[in-house]
Amino acid sequence: MDIARNQTNSLSVAEADLQPVEQAASLPLGVSWQKLMIWIFIVSDGLLFAGLLAGYGFVRLASPSWPDLSEVFHLPMIAFMTFLLISSSATMGSAVAAAGRAQLRTAARFILCTMVGGLGFLGMQVYEWTSLIREGARLDSNPWGVPTFGASFFMITGFHGSHVLSGLVILGIVAWRLKSGRGTSQGVELAGLYWHFVDLVWVFIFALFYLV
Amino acid sequence: MENATHTTGYRLYWRTWLVLLALTAVMLGIEFLAWPEWLLLTVLLGAMLVKAAFIAGNFMHLRFERPVLIWIVAVGLFATALVLILFLALDARHVLRLSSG
Repeated sequence: MDIARNQTNSLSVAEADLQPVEQAASLPLGVSWQKLMIWIFIVSDGLLFAGLLAGYGFVRLASPSWPDLSEVFHLPMIAFMTFLLISSSATMGSAVAAAGRAQLRTAARFILCTMVGGLGFLGMQVYEWTSLIREGARLDSNPWGVPTFGASFFMITGFHGSHVLSGLVILGIVAWRLKSGRGTSQGVELAGLYWHFVDLVWVFIFALFYLV
Repeated sequence: MENATHTTGYRLYWRTWLVLLALTAVMLGIEFLAWPEWLLLTVLLGAMLVKAAFIAGNFMHLRFERPVLIWIVAVGLFATALVLILFLALDARHVLRLSSG
């Protein structure tokens, strides 16, 4: 019985490369192993950000005061960065939808739109970092009084920004593979999961760091 | 299966986009209102969690996956994160009390 089941499973895993959606239904979690790996990665990567945000929460609650955020940040720009990231998630979703319909050229075009949004976000973050550093913000000190403010800001937005950067590289590779006829709809879907995760993390950073 | 019909839904993604933008606008708008702190915090954190649920559920398709995968993510990530943040927050209040004498 067990041997028979194992054989079925190994067969499914081997064929998952060819027909992931059809094979996935027979696998224990209902998703192909590639997709399961991405989900496990997302859970563990999410815990990295949970740790960073919990650390930020600790230093903020343990500090008698915290800088006036409206004095430090330019909120309209942060709002626009949020708009860009949410919109890039919608175009990424559309790329996944197009790839699911086997319209790989349309998918590649939607991925390029997503990359434009991501690049805009990253460019504005570079601008934000540059202006804060010019004003004297450092990892261990800043002009607004609470030393741990700088550490929290640079660590959290830095880790998130590096995720956006690697997302852009991944999207670039996926788009290039689609253009050269080697891309698959599952490749687009997996890259999409990662990109949405980057957007998901920003939701928490935006609320907990910039607004609260 | 059910996945096949949902992976092709442009409409779902752009509706989700609208909801996310509306929630973001609300979060930004109430920053300028003179609400008491507890109310502001409740609405901000509530909107944050709703946005996260929309992204995970619709954009990431978690809503359409098998319950076991949803539980892996919900418990593995969100419950763990919540416990971590709550315990550290309690400890931080203690540190603040100690340092302020």
